[in-house]
Amino acid sequence: MTIHEIYIDDQECWGCKTCEVACKQEMNAPEGVKLIVVSEDGPKIVGGAPDFTYRINMCQHCNEPPCADACPEEAIAKRSDGIVVMDYELCSGCRACIEVCPYDAIDFDDDKSIARKCNLCHHRVDRGLIPACADNVCLAHCIHFDDSNEKKKRDNMLAS
Amino acid sequence: MAEFKYSNIEKEMQAYGFDKVIKSHCRMCHGGCGTLIYIKNGVVKKIAGDPDCPINHGTLCSKGIASAQLAYHPDRLTYPVRRVGAKAGGKWERISWDEALDAIAERILNTKDKFGAESIVMGYGTGRENEAAIYRFANLLGTPNVLTAGHFCYGPRIATSIITCGTNPVVDYENDPKCIMLWGNNLVISNPDEYKGEPFSASLSKGAKLIVIDPRLTRAAARADIWLQLRPGTDTALAYGMLNVIVNEELYDKEFVANYVHGWEPFVRRINEYSPEKAARITWVPKNKIIDAARLYATTKPAGIQWGVAIEQQINCADNDRILMAMMGITGNLDVPGGQMLFRPPKINNVGTFGAHKMLAKEQAAIRLGGDRFRLAANFGIINPKCVWDAIIKEKPYAVKMLFLISTNPMLTRANAKKVREALEQIEFMVVSDFFLTPTAELADIVLPAATWLEMDYVGDFWKRHGYLLPRRKAIEIAECRSDHEMLNDLAHRVGQEEYWWDTFEGGLDYILEPMGITWQDFKKMDYIRGDVRYQKYKEKGFATPTGKLEIYSTLLEKWGYDPLPQFREPPESPYSTPELYNDYPYTLITGRRLPGFFHSENRQIPWLRELHKDPVVEIHPQSAQKEGIHEGDWVILESPRGKARQRAKFFEGMDPRVVSAEHAWWYPEKKDPDHGWDESNINILTDNSFANCDPAMGSTHVRTLLCKIYPAKK
Repeated sequence: MTIHEIYIDDQECWGCKTCEVACKQEMNAPEGVKLIVVSEDGPKIVGGAPDFTYRINMCQHCNEPPCADACPEEAIAKRSDGIVVMDYELCSGCRACIEVCPYDAIDFDDDKSIARKCNLCHHRVDRGLIPACADNVCLAHCIHFDDSNEKKKRDNMLAS
Repeated sequence: MAEFKYSNIEKEMQAYGFDKVIKSHCRMCHGGCGTLIYIKNGVVKKIAGDPDCPINHGTLCSKGIASAQLAYHPDRLTYPVRRVGAKAGGKWERISWDEALDAIAERILNTKDKFGAESIVMGYGTGRENEAAIYRFANLLGTPNVLTAGHFCYGPRIATSIITCGTNPVVDYENDPKCIMLWGNNLVISNPDEYKGEPFSASLSKGAKLIVIDPRLTRAAARADIWLQLRPGTDTALAYGMLNVIVNEELYDKEFVANYVHGWEPFVRRINEYSPEKAARITWVPKNKIIDAARLYATTKPAGIQWGVAIEQQINCADNDRILMAMMGITGNLDVPGGQMLFRPPKINNVGTFGAHKMLAKEQAAIRLGGDRFRLAANFGIINPKCVWDAIIKEKPYAVKMLFLISTNPMLTRANAKKVREALEQIEFMVVSDFFLTPTAELADIVLPAATWLEMDYVGDFWKRHGYLLPRRKAIEIAECRSDHEMLNDLAHRVGQEEYWWDTFEGGLDYILEPMGITWQDFKKMDYIRGDVRYQKYKEKGFATPTGKLEIYSTLLEKWGYDPLPQFREPPESPYSTPELYNDYPYTLITGRRLPGFFHSENRQIPWLRELHKDPVVEIHPQSAQKEGIHEGDWVILESPRGKARQRAKFFEGMDPRVVSAEHAWWYPEKKDPDHGWDESNINILTDNSFANCDPAMGSTHVRTLLCKIYPAKK
């Protein structure tokens, strides 16, 4: 069984925000709604040295997604391949999912009065394509999409 | 890290039902990245990086992806217009291309007849791959005056490198530099020339050491092995401090120095004037860090210095460029794999030949504005902007009567913006070619609708120094918009230059490629062409300089009456050079840090890009903010002796508390009156354009550091 996974290396991120715009191009989310967000962390002193990093935030596609439990319309469900999909047709705009998300990864689309979140480009994945943000867009190559089993195999190889 | 994967084009076409995909070459900055343009029903639906392009390897930046929002923008100018009524009155009438070009041609010929060709100034900002056509037009017209950003951006790199080592030394990322010194450059955000941020990032992932010279803590500075947080504007002194270590610890390449350097002894004497202690005092960088950085750079081979425009927009512009070239050379990093390459282009009619510089009469070249003052610039056809504003306002040394500005917005991007505005208000006739009615265009007599990169064929990057040519292929047409080179080709026929131009500009593309025996139609079928890559060419032929050596001691600068060795000058406004001014203006203001999504004054109207960064932001250390009564997010006023601008305060601890950092080139396209808020947040209202504030040889305006005060804006 293929389990999809997105993994992000914050240490490699340069803050170019290309992923944000690639996501906009794909999803056409309205102004103010971001399904992936790059934010600054720092400057601060870490271990006596100045540090400044970027953090990329998006839906974590939790194993037990609290947003799915909270949704009264059952609009959110985890697929067998790991992707947590929000069905916008079913969303009533009650915002319960936004309140329970521990990662602050769900936005509200005022134009349509519905919640929006990253569905990991399942419409692309189902056609053998890679999610827009991970499709070799940014110069840092810091967002990767993979089959988690493949990744585990590779990590083991690297470790050994 | 895993090998990177990307979607394949066929699946992408199938999934979305695109009709076709066109490989092209982006120009949302200074040009450079290969792109894939997906089209459905004649409309651009998606833009992605081209995985086969050797520059960007499939990646792209936010600007490139958002290009379709530029092309299809509802505010875009899509036909020529003529101003009705007063300047900046905001009233325009639509005219045809024939009417527009006939009117411009008539004005050009009459002005030339009455006041001489030199009274017509052509201009562009950052070259948008139109520079060769603009110079060709100007030179054939007989005007020596082409006003560009070249005095303080890229032009200095070309001018100083040609006189020092023959051509611009470019970091050879394709051969894995082991140490990269990033000097006044943030190439992961901005548009470095030649290569882009991707191969730099890849080199670091492969383990290259990193030294960063920057007054601000960027992400690159945070990732660096050594970060030198210098006092703004003291780069030359820092370089001398490092050279002092490299020479006195004998970390330099003795064989290279003995055989290929001109002026070693006087250079060493100059170096010995800058002990690391003295450099530390001048630059605020601790002595030990200067020593460590010098050792790391000089002993890790191959090494490259990735330099940027921040060191050029200074009074020490030419000398900053030259001292870094000296450092590259004496450490044995010039023209070696993974070091700093002197690449050669394929055999083409290059930008200089295309620009028809030889067609300009000697007596016309001799009266280039500012030519007797800024002699290095003048030798490369470059002029300082103040020379043009003065010639308009004071008619000295002669009157300038007509401006023809192409893809430039000098009211936002040149120093002392109020003076720029005054000149543009006074100029008798001005033509602008641009995408939008910018604050500068609002003062024009005729505005022409320019094409974006999606709407043109071109030999991309043919002026660059990485040796690559990449085809830019036309994907769409938008209303009556025309590329600058098509426009000039047409206009040339109306002013008597027809024998030097072509029926359509495709003839110009054929002319560029002609020495290789191919045409544009042939090239269009190729991915790219690259010139031969050969290393250490100087061992056979020497360097292409008057002495055949690396001219650390420049015989040409000496001939033109300048110090032949790099020299450190204290910034014209600083706590040390103007202590009295410093009492009233107690912060060192740095300007122009780069932002994702914007390119100088461009893209504030592109929704996906403006969303990345809504307001102009000035960074201030929290200690200083507290002292000035400023809260995070407040609108604050920045003020210099020239004027004021408002930006939003952001607390930033990654800077010396004595320094504040403001953004440049802000205007507000969403404000629909003809001023578009040009004077609200424009940091160039504060910058100084006096000749005393310019590099004496290159004429670069010192816009990167000045003194300011900062206080909360009234609510």
